[in-house]
Amino acid sequence: MRLSAQERLAYPLLVPAAALIGALILYPIGATIVTAFATTDKLGRIVGVAGWRNFQALAADPAFWQIFRRTFVWTAIAVAVKTTAGLAFALLLNLPFHGRRAVRLLTVIPWALPYPISAMIWQWTYNSQFGLLNRFLQATGLWPHPPAWLASPGSAFAANLIVDIWIGLPFFALVFLAGLQAISPEYHEAAAIDGAGAAARFAAVTLPFLRPVIVMASLLSVIWTFNDFSVPYIVTKGGPINTTDILVTHLYKTAFQFLDFGPASAIAIITFLTLLAFSLLYARLYFREVG
Amino acid sequence: MAHGPATLAVPLREAAGRRARSRLWRALVLHGGGWALSAVALGVLLFPIFVMLSTSVKTLNEVYQVPPVWVPAAVTWRNFVDIWTKYPLRTYMLNSLIIGAGTTCLNLLAAIPAGYAVARLRFRGRQAFMLLLLLIQMFSPIVVLIPLFKIMAALHWLDTYWSLIVTNTVFTLAFSTWMLASYFRAIPAEIEEAALVDGCSRRQAILRVAIPLAAPGVVTTIIYVFITAWNEFVFALTFISRTEMRTLTVGLYTFIGRWAVQWHYLMAAALVGVLPVVILFMLVERHLVRGLALGAVK
Repeated sequence: MRLSAQERLAYPLLVPAAALIGALILYPIGATIVTAFATTDKLGRIVGVAGWRNFQALAADPAFWQIFRRTFVWTAIAVAVKTTAGLAFALLLNLPFHGRRAVRLLTVIPWALPYPISAMIWQWTYNSQFGLLNRFLQATGLWPHPPAWLASPGSAFAANLIVDIWIGLPFFALVFLAGLQAISPEYHEAAAIDGAGAAARFAAVTLPFLRPVIVMASLLSVIWTFNDFSVPYIVTKGGPINTTDILVTHLYKTAFQFLDFGPASAIAIITFLTLLAFSLLYARLYFREVG
Repeated sequence: MAHGPATLAVPLREAAGRRARSRLWRALVLHGGGWALSAVALGVLLFPIFVMLSTSVKTLNEVYQVPPVWVPAAVTWRNFVDIWTKYPLRTYMLNSLIIGAGTTCLNLLAAIPAGYAVARLRFRGRQAFMLLLLLIQMFSPIVVLIPLFKIMAALHWLDTYWSLIVTNTVFTLAFSTWMLASYFRAIPAEIEEAALVDGCSRRQAILRVAIPLAAPGVVTTIIYVFITAWNEFVFALTFISRTEMRTLTVGLYTFIGRWAVQWHYLMAAALVGVLPVVILFMLVERHLVRGLALGAVK
């Protein structure tokens, strides 16, 4: 293969990035695939061939299927709420009122905080005895008898969802706001002259222009939400009794608490393939709508 | 018809008055509505922040008071002194600072040349490389946590800064390369060509022309990478076990286990630990939004 002058320049420039990606992402993906079909000792060393046994064991485990389904429910609810509420919030921030710059700046805070620290703050906020959330709900009469959030499976799952949504909302609000501000006001004016009311203008002008932004942001968020390790791991620790674990926390516990590296690698492969499907969809849409 | 103009002027004045009134009304609704809704939204978004602030200035007794108090009767600054002198917060923050700085340097060393190549040069495999970056941006680090742990063990890098510097670098590399490439692409090619004609080598053209002109992108990238490394949790949780090597996030997480009851210390430490990143984040938020939407927002 003859290299062009530009290629002789380009490939050396790519070496550091390619070496890092190869050593710390591509090689580990290969190693995970190998381990998923192997039996390991408690140090993670491969000691034998397992064939499909790790996968078969997972398929036969009702707890795994529960966690698998829960991960999809978790992702679907969180992304749907973040997209809708984020859009509403962006429309609000797009109103020309004084002080919106300050509001926008404060909005950033939940996004800027480290996930684990947000999770710890919320864990304390949820405390049924000393936490201020239930105190607030009772004092204002919004919810006279709020649940002990982290004590039962349903409310604990809801509690985790709230934290994930709280963390992710600013990203949506700000990306959508940027999208809204990129729409030339002339389109709205033209629609208004044609007699379109606010709702009609939203449906006919705002939404179509925002479509690529909404699609891209939601897909990104699907992946981030699917991967949100810190929130379930810290706020509820996956409990009570594994009822709030999602795939990534289950994978972590299987590997680093129970030291079952073979089955954990099988879970990793399933997670990887699921995410890869989403990523390829994203890449396809990206190159079609933006690239 | 001497009074004609006057009779005409009255309805005109009235109409103008109505218009002005309706403008005023509109402005009131816009501002009032904007403020009211913003207050509700910010109330929800900042509620846990308020909890952090309020708890960080409570005494132990007030932390465990039933019903809990909103603002402590006597604000105490003691907690901040205690976490700084009695607990290893200083060590945790220093570790995170070193790891963040190391990650940023290593990342730029790899991302600037790669971003430049992607933006400026034609080569076979360019599309494939871009696709690889896009897929890595979507990748879940936990999927490869087990082999990464084994690699770090084999290199004797567990409990070292290096383990976290290299992993944080590789998982921020896609975004930073993409971001820098978009800034390099925005520089008119003529400027660089002029430098090349004037006898600059390509290396000099990158260092003296492209990087300075892409400075806003470089700054945004630096801040983004630093914040990501500062905020990182799962690698630090897995690769670090010695107390004195813990990062801020893992250090605070272990607060819960070891000093389970001392929420006032934990919240004070959290406040000190997040303040720098929140300020940095606010500085580059606009650029980040554009970068993260990867061009979906122009």
